[in-house]
Amino acid sequence: MTETAIEAAALSKGFGRRRRKPALDDCAFRLPAGRICALVGPNGAGKSTLLSLAAGLARPSEGTISVLGQAPAAVRERVAYVAQDKPLHPQLTVADTLRFGRELNPRRWDAAVAERIVAEGGLDPDAKVRTLSGGQRTRVALALALGKRPEVLLLDEPMADLDPLARHQLMAALMADAAEHGTTVVMSSHVVAELDGSCDHLLLLGAGRVRLAGPLDDLLAAHRLVTGRADASLEPHTVVESRTTGRQLTALVRPEGSLGDGWQVTAPTLEELVLAHLRTPEAPALRLDSAREAAV
Amino acid sequence: MTTALPATATPATDRPPRGARGLTWTVLRLHRSALIFWCLAVAAATGVLIWMYAIGDEARRGVGGCAEPVAVDGLPSCRAMEAVTADDTYRTFIALIAGALSYAIFAVAAWAGGALIGRELESGTAKLAWTQSVTPARWLAAKLAVPAVLLTAGTGAVTLLGLWARGDDDPNLVGDWYYPDVFLSTGPTAVAYPLAGLALGALAGLLLRRALPAAGVGFGAALVLYNVLERYRWEFWPTVTRAEAGGFELPRSAWQLGWADSLTRATFHPHSHFWPLQYVETCLVLTVAAVATLAAFWLLRRRTT
Repeated sequence: MTETAIEAAALSKGFGRRRRKPALDDCAFRLPAGRICALVGPNGAGKSTLLSLAAGLARPSEGTISVLGQAPAAVRERVAYVAQDKPLHPQLTVADTLRFGRELNPRRWDAAVAERIVAEGGLDPDAKVRTLSGGQRTRVALALALGKRPEVLLLDEPMADLDPLARHQLMAALMADAAEHGTTVVMSSHVVAELDGSCDHLLLLGAGRVRLAGPLDDLLAAHRLVTGRADASLEPHTVVESRTTGRQLTALVRPEGSLGDGWQVTAPTLEELVLAHLRTPEAPALRLDSAREAAV
Repeated sequence: MTTALPATATPATDRPPRGARGLTWTVLRLHRSALIFWCLAVAAATGVLIWMYAIGDEARRGVGGCAEPVAVDGLPSCRAMEAVTADDTYRTFIALIAGALSYAIFAVAAWAGGALIGRELESGTAKLAWTQSVTPARWLAAKLAVPAVLLTAGTGAVTLLGLWARGDDDPNLVGDWYYPDVFLSTGPTAVAYPLAGLALGALAGLLLRRALPAAGVGFGAALVLYNVLERYRWEFWPTVTRAEAGGFELPRSAWQLGWADSLTRATFHPHSHFWPLQYVETCLVLTVAAVATLAAFWLLRRRTT
């Protein structure tokens, strides 16, 4: 399976006046189908912009983005998107909201899936959406997205409103559904811990640019957390971030060959990897998603 | 304006669908309060007009000539005529319906800008629709077509009923044909104006993307259209000028526009100009509606993919 779910090339998106910094600036990445991709970055990094471009809701200022090999607008039917603020019609009941999904996705709608997700949250189908809590609305929005049986599921901060229990349970339902149907999921968050354990692909954005992109395991394997004496040299390795405490130096590096003796080496966690890159915006970007995968 | 809805293949597990489907269903469901209000308004107008037709003959007995002190030559006695109150009721309600028809454009424009389009763009629910299997253009087409059909049916029916209830068009009861309310409510303009309001409101909603400002601007645009057309209505068809030495009088049915040369020359529209004036104004209003609709689609296309 080397089919591409989402691919961007030289993708830029600016808002308003030209002088302002664009929300996305010359982004390139490739997401193979079937992956669960964490889209990570600080607030304002361009995560929501990227997802709305992939959902076909906006046009790129420059460059291209393709979803399932086509323009996003051409594959509306096969892509589901849950926006950050979970917009739903407040005057509809939960049941009518699901009917809304059925009426607007006549060829794909899976009522059983949508109804199950709503029922698992103990929601009354006759309750008006405006009476629901934030977490319950998230559940309805996810039911609407999954009921569509999407091939690509774009979720913008999906779990922000949920309590830990509901988050755990919805995430599990989501992952089971994605695994069963081979759905590609892109999930944005600025809470890294939220994504750890469920994702197998990482896309880290910073200030509108791609900082890290690739399979999570490969990215983690390409980095090492090293501790050693402050005066030791880390040449020729690429140093992402280094911090000196007294005479001790801790650094996240991309080793170029053997690190040699004198260093205490451990594998970084996802959180350490992401935080090190966020703290040092000048660290070089690393893409492990294109050439190798495309060659297969 | 029509919406092409895809043939729907219903999965076997689903309940059999009843009534409207697809986007039509969503528009009817999302704007159910407006739909109920419109149905009630049309029903009320229908009821009132049937009642007016029923009391029409009696109302006509309440106006016209009378004889003192007793009835002679087929003329009723003036005391008997003054006892008739149906003419007041008739006059009031006919004028009320005429006013409602000619001012419907304002309510429609504010609603279209606010509730129909502006609120959806403000709250993000439009994006919810566009990320289902429908394109923004089809969404807007349904948003315009469904109300347009219901508006046309409602205003068309009320206008025809109004013409029927007016009977012989006695100007003492129903007003002269060139009064703005009467003119707008007795021809195709009654159908065209609300449609223009719908298109102008929708355009305002797409431009401003917020409910309240869009409702205000939609209302304002309708107000401008209404007043400009009222101001220039007389120019939509060539006037008639009559000159006679010694002066003359014009019948009441003439829309008098000006007298000159010490009342020997008059410019006016005779009653026969009603239909040409109606047609020209209807065309103008529908052109405004079409241009606003095209602009709305163009704007939507520029904003989305």
